[in-house]
Amino acid sequence: MKLIKKTIPLAIVFVFGILTLLTYYVPHKHSVDFLETMNKWENIVTAFAFFLGLISLFYAHSTKISRKADGWGYSLFVFVGFLAIIIPAYISKGKNMNGAELTWMGWAFQYIYNPLSATMFAVLAFYIVSTAYKSFRIKSLQAFVLFVAAMFLILGNVPLGQIIWDKMLGWTGYNISQVVDWIMHVPAVAGKRGIMIGISIGAVVTALKIIFGIERQYLGKD
Amino acid sequence: MLKDKLNAVLKIDRRWIFLALTVVLFGAIIHPLGLLSKNIARDTQNAYEFMDKIPAGSFILLDLDYDPSTAPELSPQAMAVARHAFRNNLRVGVVTYSAGATGLIEQLFAVVPGEFKKEYGKDYVILPYQPNAVAVMTQMASDLYGIYDKDKDGKDTRSMPVMKGIQNYKNISLVVCIAGTSITDIWVAYVGDKYNVPFIAGVTAISQPGYGPYLQKKQMRGLLGGMKGAAEYEHLIKTPGKGSSGIDALSLAHVMVAALIIVSNIAMVILKYL
Amino acid sequence: MIKHKVFLTLFLSLSAVCGLFAAKPAPAAKKAASLPPAAVLGGVTAADMPYDVGGAVLLRWAVNPSDTPATTYTVYASSLQAGGWVEAESFASTAKTGKDIDLPFWAWDGSASEHAVKIELTNFFGEIKDGDVFHFKVAALENGKLVAESLPLDASTTSNWFRLDRLNNVVMLLLVTIVFFWAVSHAKRKGLFIRRIAGLDAIDEAIGRATEMGKPIYYVPGIGDMTMVSTIASTFILGEVAKKVAQYDTTIKVPHYNPVVMTVSKEVVKQAFLEAGRPDSFREDINQFISSDQFSYAASVDGMISREKPAACFFMGYFMAESLLLAEVGATTGAIQIAGTDSESQLPFFFTACDYTLIGEELYAAGAYLSKDPMLQSALKAQDFGKLVVMISVALGVILTAVGALMKWGAFTQTIADLFKAY
Repeated sequence: MKLIKKTIPLAIVFVFGILTLLTYYVPHKHSVDFLETMNKWENIVTAFAFFLGLISLFYAHSTKISRKADGWGYSLFVFVGFLAIIIPAYISKGKNMNGAELTWMGWAFQYIYNPLSATMFAVLAFYIVSTAYKSFRIKSLQAFVLFVAAMFLILGNVPLGQIIWDKMLGWTGYNISQVVDWIMHVPAVAGKRGIMIGISIGAVVTALKIIFGIERQYLGKD
Repeated sequence: MLKDKLNAVLKIDRRWIFLALTVVLFGAIIHPLGLLSKNIARDTQNAYEFMDKIPAGSFILLDLDYDPSTAPELSPQAMAVARHAFRNNLRVGVVTYSAGATGLIEQLFAVVPGEFKKEYGKDYVILPYQPNAVAVMTQMASDLYGIYDKDKDGKDTRSMPVMKGIQNYKNISLVVCIAGTSITDIWVAYVGDKYNVPFIAGVTAISQPGYGPYLQKKQMRGLLGGMKGAAEYEHLIKTPGKGSSGIDALSLAHVMVAALIIVSNIAMVILKYL
Repeated sequence: MIKHKVFLTLFLSLSAVCGLFAAKPAPAAKKAASLPPAAVLGGVTAADMPYDVGGAVLLRWAVNPSDTPATTYTVYASSLQAGGWVEAESFASTAKTGKDIDLPFWAWDGSASEHAVKIELTNFFGEIKDGDVFHFKVAALENGKLVAESLPLDASTTSNWFRLDRLNNVVMLLLVTIVFFWAVSHAKRKGLFIRRIAGLDAIDEAIGRATEMGKPIYYVPGIGDMTMVSTIASTFILGEVAKKVAQYDTTIKVPHYNPVVMTVSKEVVKQAFLEAGRPDSFREDINQFISSDQFSYAASVDGMISREKPAACFFMGYFMAESLLLAEVGATTGAIQIAGTDSESQLPFFFTACDYTLIGEELYAAGAYLSKDPMLQSALKAQDFGKLVVMISVALGVILTAVGALMKWGAFTQTIADLFKAY
């Protein structure tokens, strides 16, 4: 059992991890072909995994409905939504447009999926505004720096802000775009680079831990 | 008394803020102010200039990876970039790695090519959706037809005039990716850096600040950020579109946020020192 | 390494001799009798482009000091023994010198005194096999009029086995790997100090609170796929959290965006319950697939959180715009929230809406921190070593480049830049 559950998977991880790493340094055609084959396999695995996902989704919601668990009515919407897209897609043979005309699927996409998705993203704007109201309070020197930078960026990002800047601070001789450019390209990039470098090194070490079988929690422990 | 009121201001129910934002946005949409950005961002300008210098007849790859959620911000960008490409007689190949984008791509290309009398198969091609972006990007480095031998309708791409002489990244003058997902980083890491393909991105305003390092290192030749980026690009190609019309609402919402932050700070200072 | 100086000299002399022979009227030349005779462009070499997959040839010849701004060069290629010439490249006499080839000093010795042109044969002749012979010639033109032409040259391409230009990268990788193994092999000898990470210490508190309140815990692994390091790190943390959940006999729910991640997480949770001695408490529906659409996922998880009002929410992994949507809704329910992501653009949102946030590498280190496995903890040393190397390199690089620029040592600055560049 240990051989199947641990040794073989770890050997696969090691061999394919090293080979994939080598493709970065070996430009030979065999190396390119190997990478292509691996990518195709990955595509196939992902496609099959999607079915597993679908089964899990249907199983969870059908159990909820059959048990009449709390909020089972919402679970009905999973099936209604699924059918509302799948049936038109089947009728329209997976095409959104038929010439210049919307097909059934195109209609479902444009008038059901589009507004629902856009609404969810739009909610973000409301959350950002209320979060900004609560979080930009000057309680320390650092918070003050954050406040000043935020003000510059908010004003510099839109024409109305630019007009306000010109009226109030135009005498300084600086254009708001220059200030925003400096903030975005100097301190912001410096901070981001630091985080990126830390993350990349962390990623390299994590990759080594996985390739050499030191970190194997994702396989379940011994 | 004043203190209680100020405390109430600081702890205001966030639904009042939501309501205020709704009113401001509606106001701007119903009564446009006609504001236009005076200053074009450096990164938008660079994107425009790079694209403008590509010789006519060159092939560019347009990755449109936004779904309906980010479409209000990103669709105007895609439209402006496509218009610019067709105006300069570039050949365009469209790819996508998010299923939600396919319908939006069809809608966009049902409109824009017609404005420039461009023909499908001759001047542009829409390639089918593929799920695993990294695998496809790697494959395109050697032979694009290993994945895209058929277009979205199952027609043979090799025989299309638009694909003449196109084999891999070496024949592609530019990749433009307009996306609301992490695919932009994947393009930079797996394609731009590895195969030296010039790359321009269009992203949502919320993720724009994160791309500074790529721009400095020229891993990105330009960047369009949010609706503002779209409006600026529309201004540069002298074809106002949805980006320009949304800029008023964006302006007022920004000023409202600034005002709210200032009000909350004034209230806090008064509470502290009075 | 292409250091063909001797070969080049030999070839130059040979070409010159060939040039003398070629200058004699050949049968083909008779056809062009009406055109003024063009001089022979000598010293052109054609060889396989090194360090690539094949299919490209590199042509080199000396820059002619008498070239004027009106001089252009055109390179022709052919796959046939005679004729079949295709224009492969055309450029001004000042362009495409040895300096323009983007290779570091240890892999390339090009100078501004020679032209170096890379011809991608696959662009013109489709698929090419190793060893296929192609023919090349270079023509010099003055205002579009032919003034000199090289003799046809033969070259074939090969698929190379090593990217010498990435040697700096190999060295860095080897160095980190050596330190990594040293750290891991010394793991058991001494204890290792790891600074406290408040977010991870709070996990116990969060699970304890959930147990007291009798409410579930939500563990959101983000929208990354299993190839992302942050998602892998998230499954490590999930294992530890699930183990504690099983020990306290609390409920945990793990909604998924990616079906592959769901399959892996299922195994991890099952194993954690087994290790905690509570395999009977494991249920298949702990891990549930929601949707592979970003905002459908966010909407659904938001709905679940607001209906069930969990005592604790964990957001660990890769997040995009849905971060604030999830964290804000979690915050309104009064749950303890612990987030961790390597997606820097989302960190600010987690900072404002969550009680604790793990930044990038803290997330990667979490597995080692929580499991207290000495081998895993020691691997963190390799991470610190990597950071030390970067810090020293940045400081030294800045100083040396600045000194080089001030003293106008072009070659020195270039060498420093080459050393740290990714090819």
